[in-house]
Amino acid sequence: MILAQLVNGLALGAGYALLAVGWTVLLGAARLVNFAHGQLYMIGAFLTFLVITKAGLPYLAAIPVAVVAVAVLGGIMQLLMRRLTLDQNIVSLMLVTLAFGYLLEGGGSLLFGGNPQVIDSPFQNAGMSIGSARFTGQDLLIVILAFALYGVTWFVLGRTNIGRLVRGVAEDPKLAQLYGIDAAKVYLGVFVFSAACAALAGAVVAPRSPILTSIGFDQLVITFLVVVLAGIGYLTGGLFVGLGLGVFTAFFGAYVSPAYSTAAAFAVLLVVLIVRPQGLTAR
Amino acid sequence: MTNAVRAGRAPAGTTTSDGAAGRSRRPGPGTRVTGWLVLAVAGFLLPTLLGGSTRIYTTCVLVAIFAMMSYGADVVLSYLGEVSLGHTLFWAAGAYATAYFTVKSGWGPLPSLLVSLAIAALLALLVGLATLRTREFVFSLVTYATAIIGLTVVSNVGGLGGSDGIVGVPLLTLPAIGGSYVARTDVDIWPIAYVLLVVVIFFIARFRRSRLGANALMTQMNPGLATTMGVDVRRTRVLVFVVSAPISALAGWLYAFQRSYVSPDLLSASFLLFMLTAVILPGRRQLLGPLIGAALITAQQQLASFGGDVDKIVLGGVLALVLLVSPNGFAGLGRLLVRRRHPAAEASPAATAAADE
Repeated sequence: MILAQLVNGLALGAGYALLAVGWTVLLGAARLVNFAHGQLYMIGAFLTFLVITKAGLPYLAAIPVAVVAVAVLGGIMQLLMRRLTLDQNIVSLMLVTLAFGYLLEGGGSLLFGGNPQVIDSPFQNAGMSIGSARFTGQDLLIVILAFALYGVTWFVLGRTNIGRLVRGVAEDPKLAQLYGIDAAKVYLGVFVFSAACAALAGAVVAPRSPILTSIGFDQLVITFLVVVLAGIGYLTGGLFVGLGLGVFTAFFGAYVSPAYSTAAAFAVLLVVLIVRPQGLTAR
Repeated sequence: MTNAVRAGRAPAGTTTSDGAAGRSRRPGPGTRVTGWLVLAVAGFLLPTLLGGSTRIYTTCVLVAIFAMMSYGADVVLSYLGEVSLGHTLFWAAGAYATAYFTVKSGWGPLPSLLVSLAIAALLALLVGLATLRTREFVFSLVTYATAIIGLTVVSNVGGLGGSDGIVGVPLLTLPAIGGSYVARTDVDIWPIAYVLLVVVIFFIARFRRSRLGANALMTQMNPGLATTMGVDVRRTRVLVFVVSAPISALAGWLYAFQRSYVSPDLLSASFLLFMLTAVILPGRRQLLGPLIGAALITAQQQLASFGGDVDKIVLGGVLALVLLVSPNGFAGLGRLLVRRRHPAAEASPAATAAADE
């Protein structure tokens, strides 16, 4: 029973971490926020579903289509917000992205309808087990992707020239521009990356359960939890807090009450913020 | 009839711009008071002037309720400069407390009003203390978190009706000379809604001129300077939050009677987006801003609705558009136009204020 919940929790948590990686980079590297992140996840999931059912592509081919489409959508959003981003007008950015999220949810409902849909992933039907714990191929895919994506992101941000540009802009956008870095381009790149990650999470996490256009909100809530609990912008913290939160949710749901697991996680967040406002993993 | 409206509008413009710029030519106190009185009377007669149909009365009542709800968020957004994503919690707390105590405990409207306001203030104190050391997006995320905890609680607690909510809120009955005043329809609710709205606007006007209002603005613009001047920044933030919550709760109280039921949808994103848009659309820090914003959005949703999903697109689209084109709302747009046409006019504050109209 405990092992089963642990495996379940790790799969859940890897999904949370996968969802949060885009926001973590957005916050840590660009001090940007995006309250439409959950809705981008939702659009990613529904596009995957549409490409499979309407265009007849297999699941693995549908993922990149959805990811690219949402990345373009993210690019358009960032181009519209360009001035607010360069001014670092956080209050307006929060409100604009909140509005974008609402816009995407309304548009999503019009386009995709109000019925729950199921993404047909071959991995979801592949059952596996370790001892008494059962899991699917989809769960395994989510865990592998989460670790891979965090690894690549960590490497690119910390060890490459692109990473240096991004960190330079994060440190001081004005000064970076003096050194010839085009801050607007860096912000655009970071935002597109973040949107693509949200869509990837939607394409691989969503097949675990039926999808509705209202799921974006729930996903946004999870993103908040992971990002703030980890401490704003701490990449490795995001991975571990995501996994830990998944395990917490699984155990709380199994032994206390599934209805209150999100509220319990938020109660933990409130306590953490009072005791350690900088987050759990931040220095 | 038309004269009354015209007479009401002229002073409205002067007083709004006066409040916004603060430095423009002030009319004498007598003129201002008269202007406000004429505006208040004209506002009260507005549903009659618009034809007096039940639909118009319903729309006007909803405008008043939603405007009060938005004024709660306005206090935090305009004067503290923080985005509270948790004001639906106070609004829902007001409505839920009212429904709970009138339906389950058989209380009258006035005791339930007092309890609603007290509960909202207490919740705001707790949220305010929890967010004491957070700013900007962390503050927004945590206030959002409290609204989500609230949503989970009201959706799951049996005593609060779960996802069905609480139905059968009795008619709003207030003690009056020679018996009692029973509000059976929106026509009967209108005078109550209107008086409360006027009280709220009066309260906001006082807040803007109060020490707390000034401290809040200073805290927003330069926390370092505020501290140097002896302002306790954290105390100010918590106090402003505590002041703002009962305003939204008051709106919730009336909404519970107007709709005669409460349900978890009070905590949905649509009410949150509504209050933020109502503040942002006319421009922050305008005394009548949230009222104008609420009137525009409610009129669209009540009289020109395209269905839930398209209304979402309209609300989200309008908010995004305003912030992208002119982050200061209509007021900023006016200023932008004046600057384009007469670059020199920008120097004169009076011209800026005039552009607000």
